[in-house]
Amino acid sequence: MARQRKKKTPKKGRRKAASTRRWPARLWRVFLLLFGIAAGLLIPWVLYLDYQVTSEFEGRKWDLPSRVYARALEVYPGALLTPPDLAVELQAAGYHEAAQVSRPGQYRLAGDRAEVFRRAFRFQDGEVAPLHLRIRFAGQVVQSLANVANGESLDLVRLEPAEIASIYPLQKEDRTLVRIEEVPPLLVTGLQAVEDRNFKHHPGIDLHGIARAAWANLRAGRAVQGGSTLTQQLVKNFFLTQDRTVIRKVNEALMALLLELNYDKAEILEAYLNEVFLGQQGAYAVHGFGRASEFYFDEPVARLRPHQVALLIGLVKGPSYYNPRRHPERARQRRDLVLAAFEETGLLTPEQARAAAARGLGVTDSPRHRGSRYHAFVDLVQRQLAQVYAEEDLRTEGLRIFTTLSPSEQEKAQRAVTQGLDDLAQRGLPETLQGALVMADIASGEVRALVGDRDASRRGFNRAIHGRRQIGSVIKPLVYLLALEHSDDYNLLTPIEDEPITLRQPDGSTWSPDNYDGRSHGTVTLLEALTRSYNQATVRLGLNIGVSHLVNRLTQLGVSAEVDAVPSAFLGAVELTPLEVTQIYQSIAGSGFSVPLRSVIAVETAEGEELMRYPLRMMPQPRREAISVLNYALTRVVEDGTARALPGLLGKSVTLAGKTGTTNDRRDSWFVGYTRNRVAVAWVGEDDYSPAGVTGSNAAMRVWARLFRDLPIESVDLRVPDGAFYLWVDAASGRLSAEGCPGAVQIPYVDGSEPRDMTACGATALDRDKESLWKKWFGKDD
Amino acid sequence: MVMACAPLLLAACATSWEPAPDEPVVETRVRQPAQQDSAGTQVYPLRNPAVMELLTTAGAAEQRGDYEQAAALLERALRIQPRNPEVLQQMAEVQLHVRDYQQALNFAVRSYDVGPRVGEICSRNWRTISVAREYLGDRSGAAEAERRAGACMSTKPPSL
Repeated sequence: MARQRKKKTPKKGRRKAASTRRWPARLWRVFLLLFGIAAGLLIPWVLYLDYQVTSEFEGRKWDLPSRVYARALEVYPGALLTPPDLAVELQAAGYHEAAQVSRPGQYRLAGDRAEVFRRAFRFQDGEVAPLHLRIRFAGQVVQSLANVANGESLDLVRLEPAEIASIYPLQKEDRTLVRIEEVPPLLVTGLQAVEDRNFKHHPGIDLHGIARAAWANLRAGRAVQGGSTLTQQLVKNFFLTQDRTVIRKVNEALMALLLELNYDKAEILEAYLNEVFLGQQGAYAVHGFGRASEFYFDEPVARLRPHQVALLIGLVKGPSYYNPRRHPERARQRRDLVLAAFEETGLLTPEQARAAAARGLGVTDSPRHRGSRYHAFVDLVQRQLAQVYAEEDLRTEGLRIFTTLSPSEQEKAQRAVTQGLDDLAQRGLPETLQGALVMADIASGEVRALVGDRDASRRGFNRAIHGRRQIGSVIKPLVYLLALEHSDDYNLLTPIEDEPITLRQPDGSTWSPDNYDGRSHGTVTLLEALTRSYNQATVRLGLNIGVSHLVNRLTQLGVSAEVDAVPSAFLGAVELTPLEVTQIYQSIAGSGFSVPLRSVIAVETAEGEELMRYPLRMMPQPRREAISVLNYALTRVVEDGTARALPGLLGKSVTLAGKTGTTNDRRDSWFVGYTRNRVAVAWVGEDDYSPAGVTGSNAAMRVWARLFRDLPIESVDLRVPDGAFYLWVDAASGRLSAEGCPGAVQIPYVDGSEPRDMTACGATALDRDKESLWKKWFGKDD
Repeated sequence: MVMACAPLLLAACATSWEPAPDEPVVETRVRQPAQQDSAGTQVYPLRNPAVMELLTTAGAAEQRGDYEQAAALLERALRIQPRNPEVLQQMAEVQLHVRDYQQALNFAVRSYDVGPRVGEICSRNWRTISVAREYLGDRSGAAEAERRAGACMSTKPPSL
């Protein structure tokens, strides 16, 4: 443009100088010339602006942040749920406690009863309508559910999931798109009444409006009114220019005219509703009435009432100056001014306007918590999605992402780490300790909670996902599992030697592992060696099995990290993340049905079209009978092994399974434990790998216990599959015995690994049994 | 080939190992024979009304051929009762419908492991395993599973 102008100017000069004609003709020619020049300049310029404005408008695809949802809580008679946990879940989903539950989004707790008004929600498998329900609890269990509207009892209700995060566009705009037909009519008419009364009739610019504004400004002696039409404001927002040069103003006006030529009023207004800047949440700009309504009122725009509509329209003038949370008085005055305009233009009757003005602002104390509390888990979500989606799509496509997070369990997990580490400091451990915790549902592999830092608000290194540390004795169960799979050679009572051992390393040096207590324990059973975590016995056992088998098994269980096949691997000289350890133990806790850990269940478009589903898929491991025997052994770790302090910490008598882990010089503390339905891995240590004075049972187990103390716990599933069975045996000799015999215990065996010899007591009992069977089959007197 | 095909429906045999799209394997080779086997002796786990509701809805989705919806509903049921053999078995059958034979096998095995290991559901477990193994090319395994299905009615449940 600028270049064109320069070319023409000299021509004009030459012609002027050559001219000798008479006045009227000259004037006419000059006029024509100027007109030509103006047209020559203006037409391309207008075409250019037209191109800009239409391409901007039509190519307008707002970048929409993706919304991330927690798992939906299923409420049904028999569900393990307490009223306080329900409250945490509802608050996370943006529900408000109310004395009288009358609208969707409200709830009330009263003793063993709760009332919840579920909002409408579009799940990945369909939309549910609002539902007012009453829940009765009996202790930690839901007793019954009923629909308040008709009193009918209900078998199952899915609550609205919490929105736990948004994945924002890089330019940091937050937005929820609305269509003009879904906003309250008062918003559409009221916006015109306040910002641009002549909107329906003007061609993009409003000369009357400008004159009126100029007159008002002149009278006031300062700028009190702007003459910008909604169309002009939209153009200004589109091109992000705030400077007030005359050229800008002219361009803006031209573009507004062009916009009006190309599009109808409804299209322009709808764009305006979605574009206008209405607030700031941290680093994110809130654009459009859809998001603003959620941001200030926690309500969809369709449900706004007149006083709320007035507040939002008032904000257009200056979202920060009239910020209703920071400057409620200013916001109120502005809102009432808007209400007066509504009344003046007949949009509200005087009574309606008065009623609206009598109401409070109605804004929530703070915008719904997003991101901050859940970012550790959201890291995992992004990691899972990064395998399928480009980051750009996640940030701009407005995807709806359904995840597995349980807000109430996440809150407890974070508290367990934060308070657990504070507590350890009180006990004399370093104050700089860090921690991580991962908890998953065993059968589905769904990650319910993930903590990557003792400070929930710190967003940085996520230890649960990226903290790669030696796992120490946490690996040992795999060594014993491999042994139990050799059913010809090993069962849980097979004697092995816990004696010093020296091995030559590949680099020529020697390695002589010590036991934790510095002693060797001589001949011990497999079960003792595992439950007391003896190093020398484990290395000896491992050498009989072969380290390559251990490495293979790790790979088979989903560990992708490179593991060196050296004997120290038997004692956990293997660096894994808490998440990877969780994956390994999911398999064990799940009786050998491996399920890849998942944080995302489904992804759909903003319009509700399914893009991706991550269905439940299980892979049975071979030799599940050996895994079931190991499961039993791990309950013995808690009963009388290295984790025997756990039941006391929990204050509950249930059967749990677990394994402690400590690394050299007490740098890392691990505890892995599981119940019937949950497996969780806790890690504690120093970020700089310095000795921290921690052991599995003095640190990580305490963190783990803090979490499970607050959760409903059910005992581990100890049922064995085909190919394994429980037998009564003599604990000391490992011989077959019978129920009631001295020293007899019931222990699971893999088929073929059971003892053949029998104690005297056992033999007598067996004879008796045979006799009784004989009688049962053939006798009449039994 | 003919021998191996014998247990299959002729229609499937004539074309390929893949079943025809509308071949009702689940009905003809799993549910109906299992029902005939059971002849009244059924060992059913305690039923949870929420799970029942989901099972019923999933069954309806399966009937109209919406297997994805059926699987999603069964997954919800499994979140409530991960060890419900009936839900696991129904999921295995849905996997047969969508011809994911590996997953059909896996869910049926899981259902058997946690189930009563006797009666109608046991028979459905092994019949599903048999069909799945057959399509996965494990003929001897399929025959063995067929035999186990037959034994579901005569063996007593193993004690814990």
